[in-house]
Amino acid sequence: MKPVVLMVGADKGGVGKTTVTRTVLDYLAAKNVLVRAFDAEHPRGTLQRFHPDVTEVVDITTAADQMKMIDTLATSEVKVSVIDISAGLLAETLKAFTDVGFFDLVREGEFNFGLMHVVGSSVASLDEIAEVLPYAKGKHYFIVKNFINDTSFFEWNPAVYRNYFRGTTDAVEVTIPKLNEMAYEQVEISGVPFSDFVGNRGPDGQAANNSLVLRGYVRTWMRHITDEYDRVGLLDRLYDRTAAAA
Amino acid sequence: MTVSDFSTVSTIEPLPPPEPAEPIDNANDAARPSFAAIVASLHGRTGKTLFARVLADYFLLSGNRPLVFDTDFTEQTLRAAFPFDTVVLDLSETRDQMRLFDTVAARSPEARVVDVSHYVFRKFFKVMEDCDFVSEARERQVEPVIFYIANRNADAYEEGLQLRERFSECALVLVENVFLGPLKEQTLRSAGYRAFDSHDLCMMLPLLDPAVAAAIEESEVSLSDVISAPLSRTDDSAFGGLTFDQRAEMRRWLMKVFRDIHRVTRAAEQRASLRVPIIDY
Repeated sequence: MKPVVLMVGADKGGVGKTTVTRTVLDYLAAKNVLVRAFDAEHPRGTLQRFHPDVTEVVDITTAADQMKMIDTLATSEVKVSVIDISAGLLAETLKAFTDVGFFDLVREGEFNFGLMHVVGSSVASLDEIAEVLPYAKGKHYFIVKNFINDTSFFEWNPAVYRNYFRGTTDAVEVTIPKLNEMAYEQVEISGVPFSDFVGNRGPDGQAANNSLVLRGYVRTWMRHITDEYDRVGLLDRLYDRTAAAA
Repeated sequence: MTVSDFSTVSTIEPLPPPEPAEPIDNANDAARPSFAAIVASLHGRTGKTLFARVLADYFLLSGNRPLVFDTDFTEQTLRAAFPFDTVVLDLSETRDQMRLFDTVAARSPEARVVDVSHYVFRKFFKVMEDCDFVSEARERQVEPVIFYIANRNADAYEEGLQLRERFSECALVLVENVFLGPLKEQTLRSAGYRAFDSHDLCMMLPLLDPAVAAAIEESEVSLSDVISAPLSRTDDSAFGGLTFDQRAEMRRWLMKVFRDIHRVTRAAEQRASLRVPIIDY
């Protein structure tokens, strides 16, 4: 199996990018996929707070940290490296990865590459998609509509929408459903992966005392997300297996 | 025991920790699960709230003062009428869902009675299912029992059947209320009704004089007192102005219902003990 790089990015903040990354890490772990994650929200590291065991904070703008991510791909035991790219740095990161020849290696079949693009509802997001489109060829480009915070979402003009996506007919749309606010808030406070919250475990693996109602909300929500990732064949696409059809 | 011995919990304060259990004379009782009785019916006016009150009194008289939850936020029937610790909940609020399910599934010796208003019927069971309430409660030595009151309509049995399937791990007692009248022909023929033919946990609410039924719903009448006080011809004032004969009927009715409740709860408990081999009787 080829090593996989999965980038999760958005060109603006507040669209729940890190939350989406967390769901992906839980999903892959549930599928018994060895993962590591790079948190490019340097130096703060929101992702690292929730998944400290597998997450390393990197400064994606530096050559040293780019090397740290790419050079270890072939040697590492982990199969999927998830990179949570901080707001506003998606286009820049893609460019940097191009410059160091990463995408050449992808074309040569050394690695697989996936991009989860978490988009907001505004027109600014459409422009941002246009910037990312050159990197979004193929079946590994996921447009993630995030409803976690139930924003008034995607009231896009269908014509504009089609226009933007004409060049990427293979783009896969993924919808993350809304999560009950109190449940979301409680997971934030707990600072643990969603799966640990459901399993009633604290940050050090000790027994926690989470509300069973809130755990129920998170469990149901995660089940929907798992169904959604299964539906689009996320893992098959990342592994370049042919089974998937969105 | 008088009404003033009991308090009513306000709707805003967080729940106080459960009071320590009264000393139990039977040492083995400590290992027994406490019951969470969920009283529900698909439609209104089935005698559900009356039954919930009788259940609460049953637990009270068996030395297990219950905590009562009323999910009818608008009418608050139980709180108005009950001398028990009663929590009124608005299930459209997550906070109140937590107060209900987290408290009912908590490890504590007292019985719990939940009156599920037909207005929140689907919401209640959705949350109950989503939070995996039955196994969570059992982990904490709480044994949930659904008392499902069917009325004359076929859809009530159909819904009961679905509940039984959704919560197959949980004991479901089918309660039929004679007061609602004979079943419709259509109901008798329905698949839902027939599916309950071989159901093992059933009980009947016998007919009750409407005046007596009305008196039971009066807050001043303590059912415990009706049962425990000697039946006297002189002291009519104490029980909502009921005559001697009416009090005698209430007593007969209650004894009959209590016996049935005892029977089905023991049966449910026995099943629970089979499932949890650790409990040593």
